[in-house]
Amino acid sequence: MSNVVLLDSQSHRKLRVHAKAGAHYGDNQRFVPVVVNEFHALAMHYPILFSKDADTGQFYCGAMLGFDSGENLFLEEHRASSAYRPLNLQRGPFVTAGSDLAIDLDHPRVASSGDQELFTEAGEPSAYLQSVMGLMRELRPGLERTRIFIDTLMSLKLIEPMTIAARFDDGSSREFTGLYTIDRNQLKQLADPAVLDLFRRGYLQLIYLMLASRDHVSALAQRKNRSFLPGDDSLQGQPLKSGLA
Amino acid sequence: MTQRIQSIVIVGGGTAGWLTAGVIAARHQGRMKTGFSVTLVESPNIPIIGVGEGTWPTLRSTLQKMGVSETEFFRNCNAAFKQGAKFARWTTGADDDAYYHPLMLPQGFTQVNLVPHWLGSHSDRTFCETVCPQGQLCDDGLAPKMITTPEYQAVANYAYHLDAGKFAGFLQQHCTTKLGVRHVLADVTKVNQSENGDIRSVDTQQAGEIAGDLFVDCSGFSALLLGKSLGVAFKDCSDVLFCDSALAVQVPYETPDSPMASHTISTAQSAGWIWDIGLPNRRGTGHVYSSRHCTDEEAHATLMRYLGPQHAHLTPRKISFHGGHRETFWKNNCVAVGLAAGFLEPLESSAIVLVELSAKLIAEQMPANREVMDIVSARFNDVTHYRWGRIIDFLKLHYVLTQRTDSAFWKDNVDPGTISDRLKNLLRLWKYQSPWFFDEFDRLEEVFPAASYQYVLYGMGFRTEVEPEDNAATGTMAAKLINDNFALTRQMRSQLPKNRDLMKKIFEYGLQPI
Repeated sequence: MSNVVLLDSQSHRKLRVHAKAGAHYGDNQRFVPVVVNEFHALAMHYPILFSKDADTGQFYCGAMLGFDSGENLFLEEHRASSAYRPLNLQRGPFVTAGSDLAIDLDHPRVASSGDQELFTEAGEPSAYLQSVMGLMRELRPGLERTRIFIDTLMSLKLIEPMTIAARFDDGSSREFTGLYTIDRNQLKQLADPAVLDLFRRGYLQLIYLMLASRDHVSALAQRKNRSFLPGDDSLQGQPLKSGLA
Repeated sequence: MTQRIQSIVIVGGGTAGWLTAGVIAARHQGRMKTGFSVTLVESPNIPIIGVGEGTWPTLRSTLQKMGVSETEFFRNCNAAFKQGAKFARWTTGADDDAYYHPLMLPQGFTQVNLVPHWLGSHSDRTFCETVCPQGQLCDDGLAPKMITTPEYQAVANYAYHLDAGKFAGFLQQHCTTKLGVRHVLADVTKVNQSENGDIRSVDTQQAGEIAGDLFVDCSGFSALLLGKSLGVAFKDCSDVLFCDSALAVQVPYETPDSPMASHTISTAQSAGWIWDIGLPNRRGTGHVYSSRHCTDEEAHATLMRYLGPQHAHLTPRKISFHGGHRETFWKNNCVAVGLAAGFLEPLESSAIVLVELSAKLIAEQMPANREVMDIVSARFNDVTHYRWGRIIDFLKLHYVLTQRTDSAFWKDNVDPGTISDRLKNLLRLWKYQSPWFFDEFDRLEEVFPAASYQYVLYGMGFRTEVEPEDNAATGTMAAKLINDNFALTRQMRSQLPKNRDLMKKIFEYGLQPI
C-alpha cells in the first residue's frame, strides 16, 4: 500500500528518510526502469535493455542488476556510492505529482531513524532534499524523452526480443525472459536518411551504448558466481537474495 | 491464348470482397510495379449483409500477412477474443447440458490420440477439460493472452468476434491506403462476355466499362457474375441442414464494465439455436431456425424469452437464407467467394474462414496466364467442393448426435435420409476408432481438423469402443500429457487476465507488435 501526499515544509518539517541503498528499502530489484539521460553512467556497469510494463504492455528501458526476482547484485556498491545508482533507486520514497514533489509516507524509507532530514531547522530544504529535487528534474523529462526514443526505435523495427540464459557455478541455471534489445541486423539495413536522423537526435549514441552494455551480462553472471564462494570479502555476510522472490 | 493475368477485378465490397482484395494485393505487392492491379467495384447502393461475427484463428495470420495492426483491428472493428464455442442444450436439452468446442488442440495432439485414454480411464471429467485448458478459461471469463503478449501471438489459441460492417470498412481503408487496391464506387449494369464465355469487362453506371483478366464474384447472394451471367446453378442443402431463417438483434451490456464472454454461446432451442457473442460494446445475438418447424412469431418469442424481460423493447431483424453453395466455384475467368459461393447457417463460423481459404488459394495459385487458368480452376473447384462437403457434414454432426426428441425439428434431424452417406459411414467407423491423424482429414488446410470432430463427438456423449490392450503402448505418455494439461490449466488460470480487463487495456494502451 502507499500513502502519497504532496511534500509540505510545515507538516513534514520533522520527517526523516533512509537514503542509503538497502534490500528492505526497495533496492532489491533485478531490473530497474531507467531514462535515456543516465545511459552514459549506466552503461559503465549494467546491461541496458528493454522490457514491457506488466500492467500496460508498454516498453520501457531498464538496467539489469541481477538474475533472480528481487536480486540486486550491486547493493554494496550502491551503499558505498562506488557505482552509479539508477535515478529510480535514488529517488526513494519521492514521486512527482504534476510539477510538485510528493512523498509516500508508507514507504519503508520514511522513518524517524532515517539518516537524512528533509528540512533544516529554518524550514529550508536540506541538501538531501535539494538533491532529490535535482534528480527529479532529470527523471521527469527523462521519462518523456525515453518514451519518444522507444517510439522511434519501434517505428524503425529496431527492437527485438532476447532471452538471457545463464548457468552458474552452483549448477543452477536461469532463463530471464521478457527482455528486448536493439536489432543489430535491422540497424545495419537502415536507409541513410534514417541513420542521419538517429544521429542528429543523439539516438545513435544511445543505441550503441545499449549494444555495448550487453557485454555486462557475463560480468553480472560472474558477480553472481562470486556469491557462491565462501569467504569472499566484498560479499560476506550480505545475503544477495532478499527472499522476496 | 497466353494472355497474362494482370488485372484482377473484384465485384462486391463486403467482408468477402475486401478480404479477397487484401489477400491478393498483399501476396502480389511486388508485381504492382509491373502492371499487376487489384480493382474492387462496389455498389454505393447495396448494403452489406455482414454475415458471421465469429471467425477462426486463421484470421490472425490472414490479417498479419496483410500488414494490419491487431491493435487497430481491435479498436476499429469492435473486435474481441473468441476462444471457441459453448454448445448448450444440444445433447439432452437439460439445463446442465453443455460442452465446449475450444480452439486449442488437445495436449500432445501430434504425439498421442488421447480419446481412447480418456474413454478408458478419465471419463469422470469432460473430454475437453481432460485434454485442454480452454473450457475452464472460458468458464472463468479469462482472456487468451496478456497485455505483454505481442500482437497476433496467443497464450491460448484464439480467433475473434467482430462487427462485420465495421470490419469491411476497416479493410477497405487498409487495402486502398496501404496495399494499392483501386476502389470504384459504381453499380454494375452489364457483364460483357467473350465468345469463349470469359468475362471481358463489366459496364457500370457511374464509372464506365471496367475490364479485367480475372473476375472475383463477391456480390453476395445475388452471385451477379458466376450465377446470373455464367449460369452456374445453386445446390440447395436444406434437406440436410434445415435452418433457413434468422432473427438477429444487438443487445447492450448492463454497464460498460459488464463481464464479456470470450467464447460464442450457442444454445439449442426447439426448432433451431440462438447465438450469443460478446463484442466490447454490445452482444450480438440471434435465433437461427427452420421455418418449416416454427413460425416467425414463435421464433421471436423464443429469442425474447432467452434475452429476458429487460430487453423486451429490442426489435430483431429478420434474415432469410438458402443454405447451399454453387455447383462450381470457378468457371472460365470468374471465381466466386463469400455469399456468392454459398452460405450455411453460422453454427461454426465457417463463412469468413472459407473466404480466407478461398482468397489465399486464389492468391497463391494465381494463374500466370489464361492458358493455365483452367488447370488452377479445376484444382480450386476440387478443393472447394471438398471443403463445402466437409463443412456440411461437420455442421450436421452437431444435429445427428442429439438425444433430444422434444420437437419435430430434432427428430427430423436424425432421420437417416437427411444424413450423407459419408457422415453415416464415419459415424459407424468412429464407434470402433476415434478420429485422429490417420482419418481422412488429410488435406493441408482442413477447415475443421480431427480435433474439432473429437470435441463435438465426445462433448455430445458419443462413445467409441476402447480395448484396454490397445491403450497399453501409449498409456504412460497419455497419463503424462493429461497431467501436463492439468498443470497448464492451473498456470493459465492464475496468469491470464479477465477478458473485459484485457479489452480495456488494448483500447487504452494497445498491444505491441513484438
